[in-house]
Amino acid sequence: MMSRMHQKNGEWIDRSKAVSFSFEGKTYSGFAGDTISSAIYASGQRVMARSFKYHRPRSIMSLANHDANLIMQNGAGARFPYATPNVRADVTPLAEGMALTAVNTFGGLADDKASVLGKFARFLPVGFYYKAFHSKRLFPLWERMFRKLTGLGKVDFATPHIRTPKQYDFCDVLVIGAGASGLSAALAAADQGAEVVVVDENARAGGSMSYQPGTEDSILAKAVSHPRIRILTGTYAAGYYADHWVPLVDSEKMSKMRAKAVVFASGAFEQPAVFRNNDLPGIMLAGAAQRLIHRYGVKPMTRAVVLAANADGYRAAIDLAEQGVTVAALVDLRSSHQAGELEVAVKAKGIQVFSSACIYEAVPAADGQSVGSVRIAAFDDGVVGAVSKELECDGVVVSIGYAPAANLLYQAGTRMRFDKGLQQFVPEVLPYGVFACGRVNGVHTFASRLLDGQRAGAAAASHVGFGDGPNAVIPAEAESPSHVWPIVDHPDGKNFIDFDEDLQFKDFRNAVQEGFDNIELLKRYSTNGMGPSQGKHSNMNGLRILARLTGKEPQQVGTTTARPFYHPVPMSHLAGRGFSPERITPIHGRHEKLGAVWMSAGVWQRPEYYAQPGVERIDSIRGEAMAVRSGVGIIDVGTLGKLEVIGPDAAEFLERVYISKYAGLKVGMTRYAVMCDESGVVIDDGVVARLADDHFYFTTTTSGAATIYRELSRLNTMWKLDCGIVNHTGSFAAVNVAGPKARAVLATLTDVDLSGSAFPYLGLREGVVAGIPARLMRVGFVGEWGYEIHVPANFGGALWDALMDAGKSEGIRPFGVEAQRLLRLEKGHIIISQDTDGLTTPSEAGLDWAVKLDKLFFVGKRSLQIIAKKPLRQKLVGFMLDKDFTGAAPKECHLVIQNGKLAGRITSIAWSPSLQRHIGLVLVSPELSAVGTTLHIRLSGGDMVAAKVVPTPFYDPENLKQKEGA
Amino acid sequence: MMSAAFNPVPVSPLADGLSSAVFVSGEEAANLAIADISLQPRFGCKGPGAISWLTAQGVPVPTAPNSACVLPQGKGRVLRLGVTEFLVEGDAALVASLAAAQRPSGVYPVLRQDACLLLSGRKLNALLLQSCNVNFAALDLSTSPVVLTSMVGVGVTVLPEEKNDVPCYRVWCDGSYGLYLWQTLCTIAEELGGGTVGAESLAVLL
Amino acid sequence: MKIMTCPINGPRPVSEFFYWGALREMPNPDTASDDEWAAYVFNKSGAPGVKKEWWCHTASNTWFIAERDTEKDLVLRTYLYGEGE
Repeated sequence: MMSRMHQKNGEWIDRSKAVSFSFEGKTYSGFAGDTISSAIYASGQRVMARSFKYHRPRSIMSLANHDANLIMQNGAGARFPYATPNVRADVTPLAEGMALTAVNTFGGLADDKASVLGKFARFLPVGFYYKAFHSKRLFPLWERMFRKLTGLGKVDFATPHIRTPKQYDFCDVLVIGAGASGLSAALAAADQGAEVVVVDENARAGGSMSYQPGTEDSILAKAVSHPRIRILTGTYAAGYYADHWVPLVDSEKMSKMRAKAVVFASGAFEQPAVFRNNDLPGIMLAGAAQRLIHRYGVKPMTRAVVLAANADGYRAAIDLAEQGVTVAALVDLRSSHQAGELEVAVKAKGIQVFSSACIYEAVPAADGQSVGSVRIAAFDDGVVGAVSKELECDGVVVSIGYAPAANLLYQAGTRMRFDKGLQQFVPEVLPYGVFACGRVNGVHTFASRLLDGQRAGAAAASHVGFGDGPNAVIPAEAESPSHVWPIVDHPDGKNFIDFDEDLQFKDFRNAVQEGFDNIELLKRYSTNGMGPSQGKHSNMNGLRILARLTGKEPQQVGTTTARPFYHPVPMSHLAGRGFSPERITPIHGRHEKLGAVWMSAGVWQRPEYYAQPGVERIDSIRGEAMAVRSGVGIIDVGTLGKLEVIGPDAAEFLERVYISKYAGLKVGMTRYAVMCDESGVVIDDGVVARLADDHFYFTTTTSGAATIYRELSRLNTMWKLDCGIVNHTGSFAAVNVAGPKARAVLATLTDVDLSGSAFPYLGLREGVVAGIPARLMRVGFVGEWGYEIHVPANFGGALWDALMDAGKSEGIRPFGVEAQRLLRLEKGHIIISQDTDGLTTPSEAGLDWAVKLDKLFFVGKRSLQIIAKKPLRQKLVGFMLDKDFTGAAPKECHLVIQNGKLAGRITSIAWSPSLQRHIGLVLVSPELSAVGTTLHIRLSGGDMVAAKVVPTPFYDPENLKQKEGA
Repeated sequence: MMSAAFNPVPVSPLADGLSSAVFVSGEEAANLAIADISLQPRFGCKGPGAISWLTAQGVPVPTAPNSACVLPQGKGRVLRLGVTEFLVEGDAALVASLAAAQRPSGVYPVLRQDACLLLSGRKLNALLLQSCNVNFAALDLSTSPVVLTSMVGVGVTVLPEEKNDVPCYRVWCDGSYGLYLWQTLCTIAEELGGGTVGAESLAVLL
Repeated sequence: MKIMTCPINGPRPVSEFFYWGALREMPNPDTASDDEWAAYVFNKSGAPGVKKEWWCHTASNTWFIAERDTEKDLVLRTYLYGEGE
């Protein structure tokens, strides 16, 4: 039977735009502006879901995303390339072509075979999960069964990776909730000059003013047209984070709002009454019924019984009657109240009013799929008399109380207190810059809500610096709109508190009986509030029950923690558009053209090697290395950290931060440099070059550059030496040309005298290379005669091109990081944090010679002095495998075993083309470090490989190739 | 002698990316235009002696930290980065003379090889909201503020300006991050209906 | 997220900063006992309360001191090194 009514004033649907969709295989039609629930309900289909545990038929309850009754799956089809699980039908706009099915059914909604579970309810009490599955043998069987039976939507693996445009936003005052008090607060703040943003999760602003009689919404027009107010509808505040940082979630994206003050006008959740079969389709909260009528033009029921405990319930009864619903009776849980005029109006409509009465139980209609009648009994604060009447109805409208939507207030650190008069938690101590108004603040009367909003808005504006603050006095509420005990027990149960989790009253009794009698334990044992609605409709009743069962006050019982997010947020919104910064050198494009295979070195991209058609990776790497040894190679070392220290105290500064001496370094020379931290651990290495008495240019490792620069800046902030530190890492391009032919190639590009006497090993020269001003250094690097050339970055490409061109006749070959590592390993050069770890000191790494303890001070000196008095823990030494070794070679981190005990580990290993055997570095106990010692290395599978300790360098031990002697 | 044969020209860090870029114009450019101005002449220095040395060279020094001032005759800008670091940009002759000049102790030269973008258009604020957590809309441009912050994960220096009611911002970053910064901002700009333009088309804003 | 105020660049989200650790005086490395020196290098107070800490605004490389109440999660004040008194 169709339930669509005539056009309503201000309705949210557009009757000129029909929208067709299907639900459970049947085709339906709704209107633009409908939600999925309103459209299905309008068609006359009431049962829209099956409950989580007992698979009972379910329909609209809150229509506000405060219950999870109506979760659906939107299938893939013509309009939707992939399926969407867990669509919340109550608040999701209807869209053309949706193909919806209920989740959590076993064989479809109508024939849900799992509904038989309801019959076994008494074998599935609260906490049965913990008790039933002791047997390890049977658990896999249970697990398979439950995986089939439970779970909600199904993930579609064809879902693309969606990037949403996450963004920032700013305002002076953020108002959460565009209802009466929220809009009032926004106007008050904006009138004082503040920039205000109002957010509301509904499709339109106005809150309950759009459907609750007894209100009027003239402030909405004022707020919409105010130049300093932005209203964001369809947007909810998902959480509250430090310093008024609030994520705002809409259908497309998340905005990270930074406000200077926040006003919470988030309202309150209508609460369900607890009685047997209170979950039958047709039984809904008053707001749901009224929203169906006024927003969507849907008649919620034909013949209603109203269960009330506040004035809003009376207004709802009058509204329903005026909208053509027969209201058989109004059942008031209270014995008396102060809304006398409303009661007169209700009775004038021919509606019978029963006081001190409750619904004892709802009786299903003949088909069991919705409510057919209710049984009324006398009620006095939980004490129930005999059933006095049975009233036929196809709907029950419940208005018995509210729980504040204070989730984000809790997250902000608000201290709440339970107001007995109001029967509600209200803010007691609000954090700095946080304000609350309206129902969440315990103010329920419409006129008072407007005043309370004004007060909060003025206070928020004043906090930000606009205006003098509020001076209004808000009258106290005359009576509580929330009943102290809207709960009716029943021997046959099925009186639900948590509709997401199918928890009945006796489940709470059982939990408390078993000792889970504090709010945190009760929640986790019973799962109350752990479903998708996270307690919005169940926490308050659960708290009331626990209080009574343990003889405590609600204030003593307390509430559990509310955590972000307020509603489930799609992963695509959280991921947003990712930012993964990447650094490249100016020569990047050249490497790309040469077939570079890229690798990440921190945030930098470096060529690992250059791929050649038909050549295996390992052969390319070895080929590059051999080209350097026999001819000339070129590598981009632009990722190195490059720092300068300039000024009269420059040398003193370097003396303090490195372990070696630099005060006496000659101008035009370089020296290897090792840095330790305060505990004496090696943290970085590089080369220091002296350009002038007061000017040094020094390099750091690629990954260390930013950290080292930052830390050196901190040290000089403290020491205040007369010098400045400059970070030129990105400003200079750098290449290294190495090999026996390197000098010949470079000589064609520069006037700098490259003879060994004019430009000795470890020297530094400034000059012009290929027309570019350059700094040239002769350093050890890969163990061949070579030059490291630094030029301003914008000339990096030109330098590379000139060298490649000049080196053509000598067969110059670009080489990458892997070849570099191989060549340097052949020279026994260590890689900080590969051959050293977080505890390695210079002595352990074979860098004793670099430590100058006779310096007055350097970072780590005292610690090294203390450590020097202790026995050495380990030593880094070189090793080789047998020349004829075949089979699987050890890898980095394979362990050295001695007498069944761990005695060391490999830090680097490679097959050396220059020596034609495996070489490597290993950290071992000092007893095994002597040259000639045999080491036993264990492979992953358990096989043992023998290796011998040898001195380093492995290749050209006298370093003749890189110095004058070649 | 070999070196006489060479005449290398400096190349923008964005050159590789720009060579395959599709430029926009008209309405799209009016929405959001991104231009590469990395090769503008630049000079940088810092240190306790920087202010008096620059003044002695005839360079106007912005009075407040993190602010800028223009060079006379529209020849460019001087940015004060923090308290004692400076960036002079625009006039090639001035930049060359500063680079060649003797510096006393207390003045440390900073080689500037930045990537620099000029962003302009009516949708610029929307781009900024997606890339940077500074409230640029709340700045008072009459004080010529300079903002050192992080944009799409990269450290940047931003100089916000307005020409004919259209916002136009200069953004400097380390050259090695330039291509990433430009590509990332372009992706967002294209979604907002804008894109890359040649620097010449924004010459009026320079 | 939390706001930290750089003394030179103003209030910014804490993601723009690097936290170094507690501001502590280095004992004289030449005269301190081994135990005193080890305590200085390795031992740090984890008790909640007001801390003086080194922080760096990374985009501008500005080092400064922040006084932070770690129990109440409040930044009390920030200032350049040496300008705290």
